Order: sequence, then structure tokens, then C-alpha cells
Amino acid sequence: MGVTKEQVESSLKAKLNPSHVEVIDTSGGCGASFVVEIVSEQFEGKRLLERHRIVNAALEEEMIEIHALSIKKAVTPEQWKQQQESSNSVA
Amino acid sequence: MATFLSNIIFKGIASRSLTTHLSSSCYYGMRYLNTVSNDPDTHDDFKPANKNESSGISLSDVVEKDVKDNPVMIYMKGVPDFPQCGFSSLAVRVLKHYDVPLSARNILEDPELKGAVKAFSHWPTFPQIFIKGEFVGGSDIILNMHQNGELKEMLKDIKSKQ
Repeated sequence: MGVTKEQVESSLKAKLNPSHVEVIDTSGGCGASFVVEIVSEQFEGKRLLERHRIVNAALEEEMIEIHALSIKKAVTPEQWKQQQESSNSVA
Repeated sequence: MATFLSNIIFKGIASRSLTTHLSSSCYYGMRYLNTVSNDPDTHDDFKPANKNESSGISLSDVVEKDVKDNPVMIYMKGVPDFPQCGFSSLAVRVLKHYDVPLSARNILEDPELKGAVKAFSHWPTFPQIFIKGEFVGGSDIILNMHQNGELKEMLKDIKSKQ
């Protein structure tokens, strides 16, 4: 039934070699809706649309059963570092 | 009539539990159409109508013309004044910030159009937004572009609604 958070995570890890990945199941258990945050070098030099296409492609099999995939963050390790630092300084 | 309706609802629920996907409430409209169209007992009147069947225009031509003729085109679940999915609702809310004409099609009403749009953009989910003929992305991207000013830049040369 549906797709698990672990499946989404392992596909992303296998295909995008991320330095950070966070998957949240927002479906309430049925496995049809996820929020993803991912940091990968593969996003380097790519526009947001292309980054989302990369994530969609990595989850091609899962997407058949996933109804809603919200890609909250698709950033490069460098951007991620900057974002972490600026959010820390605010806090 | 009441029996007929409850029959459909019952069948809808029954087929829902048999399928492993399409589990979100956003999908319900489509699920309904699928259920009805596969049901041999259903009267023709209740089958989804394919408006383009006899006109000889393929659905991919429809999409191509849509995005060419409408500077801001959104394929969504529901209609702009009554979105039937949170993501479609978000995208419409973002676009309504700008004084530009918004053209929309409801893909819940037409599963074949839905397939044609997905094939056209190579994008798996809805909503899908096209600006000046170019595929821009879904709700995450449009929100991001709204926040970083890219969307304003992209829409600035589009004539307002008046």
C-alpha cells in the first residue's frame, strides 16, 4: 500500500547522492503525499525547474503512487551551508 | 435517484480500497469519472464526454494552443474561484497577486487532457503553470519565484486584465 518515507529516502539517496535529505510523510499514513528537502551537488548550476525535474525523475517509480510531492528545498551543498548559517544568526 | 447515487458512492469506495494508489482526497473527482466510465450498467449520459473526439483536434494540439494563446495558463484541479486541491489553490493565490489575465483548465473534468498536459510538459503533478508559452513549474516553484521576485520580472510585460 502506497509508498513509505523510507522508500522515498532510499531512492533519493541512491540516485542523487545527497549530503542531506529529509522526507516527511504528510499523507497521514497512506503514503501518497510527501514533503522533501534535499541537498545535492547534482543541483549545481541548475535552475529550480531543472532541480525539481531531477527529483521527479529520481522518484519516477514512486511517483506513480505518490499523489503530492512538495519539494520544499532542492539546494546545492554551498547554498545549504549559507542557509544554515543565516538561519542560525537570526535565531 | 438516491439509490443510484448511493450506488455510485458505494462503488467508488469499493474500488478505492482495491487500488493502491490515488489515495488523496484531491483525486476524488477523477476517481469518480473512472468508476463511472468502466461501469457497464451506467447510462451513456453519465459517461465523461470527450469534447474533442469529433473535431479532429488532438489534445496535445489543444495544450499547445492554450499555452501559446494565453500568457498565463494554469492546468489545475478545480477552477480558480474554487480550487479542489491545496496546491492548485496556492498557485492561484500566488498568481492573483499580479494584475495579469489568468487562464485555467480543470483537469479533474477531463482525464485525457490531464494525460496530454503531463506528456506535454514531462511533469508528473498538478497544478502546472505556463507563462508566455514556457512551462514554469508547479506550486512549489511558482511560490519560490514569487518570493524571490522572478515571477514579477517574468509577468511585467504581460498586459493587465483591463
